[in-house]
Amino acid sequence: MVVTAKTADGKEIGKEERHYHPQATNCRDKKEKYGAQWKVANIRDTSIQPFQAKKETIEFHLPEGVRSAEITVDLFYEDVNPDNKYPIHTIKKTVSLDM
Amino acid sequence: MKFFKVVLVVLFLAVPLLASAEKAKTIDELAKMYDSSSCKACHAEIYAQWEQSHHARPLMGVKGGLMLTPLALKKGEPGSTAFSEDSPEKMKISNFPCFKCHLPQAIISAEDSVAVELAKALQAKDSAKVAKLQITCIVCHNTKAIIHKRELGEPEKGVLYSTKEVKEHGDSTFKTVKKSAIMNNSVYCGQCHGLGPNLEFDQAFQCANLYGSYLHNYVSGGGTQSCQDCHMKKGDHLIPPNFNDDKQTSELLASALSLDVETLGYDWLRKAATYTPKIVVMTKITSKAGHRIPDG
Repeated sequence: MVVTAKTADGKEIGKEERHYHPQATNCRDKKEKYGAQWKVANIRDTSIQPFQAKKETIEFHLPEGVRSAEITVDLFYEDVNPDNKYPIHTIKKTVSLDM
Repeated sequence: MKFFKVVLVVLFLAVPLLASAEKAKTIDELAKMYDSSSCKACHAEIYAQWEQSHHARPLMGVKGGLMLTPLALKKGEPGSTAFSEDSPEKMKISNFPCFKCHLPQAIISAEDSVAVELAKALQAKDSAKVAKLQITCIVCHNTKAIIHKRELGEPEKGVLYSTKEVKEHGDSTFKTVKKSAIMNNSVYCGQCHGLGPNLEFDQAFQCANLYGSYLHNYVSGGGTQSCQDCHMKKGDHLIPPNFNDDKQTSELLASALSLDVETLGYDWLRKAATYTPKIVVMTKITSKAGHRIPDG
């Protein structure tokens, strides 16, 4: 999931990522392995599990003089490598600090 | 007595030959042994679904990859594995532990020469040859159909197993269909879409954890749907997702995962008269799937 904040003219002012997936090593060193032939067991699992909502709170401090931002939240699935993406949801919101 | 001895000698020599003759020596022989193309005539729609499925290309990976290539690389070569050998000639069926699920028929029906041929094909990036090895109708509806073998015995030759019994099945080889005890149960899929580390091998490795997640996070949370309920609706043998179909995969994921976003903008006051303009983004992802995402 990638959350970006941009000014009205498109300048990026903040970006945060969250990665949800099981992470395994070969249990002989501390390097995460990709590929069944190298992995032996998970050492961490941030994947999205049934009945367990993933909640995040992400904060962006706006630069001086900026009073609003366009927030985009992209949820996508990566398979094999980060270039192979399957979009899932994209939600955009404009947030203003002025009434 | 002499005749009896001759018979014994002939039997002694012939039995291993017969046993050996039942195993495939080449990729083509193995493919032919489990060829299910005759199913197409009567089950055209199901066959067409299967042809698009990952079961029809279990050694190909996603989008034209050849996922077993690292095993076929020369030992010590960058990217090679603990299962690799100095030469493809040394490769055996046991050098491809992935066959446990990606080509289960090889374990019971293939000579080591098939592993040698596959290693050479992988090194040569011969996709057409590798693609001949598939998880066909026979693999699921016979080879993997029984897990209570002490009670029910091995899958019978000439018999298919399915969710319904068909006493007279119009096929010249598989003349009957018996009702499988497990084919509509998640444990059937769990045979391959696994529990975690495969510790039964001399070199442990881990592929899918999916069934483990299903048991320990979905069933334990009160979930009652089976794998088949969600992934084989109306008997769909595509068994989605099909990761070669971007649109369909995105739609399936979107139906399983929901995303809610709330935002808040305000001037944050950390110390007197010093405001920091701040935006807070709160995200919530919930899943309707019966297993972790991602997994396989």
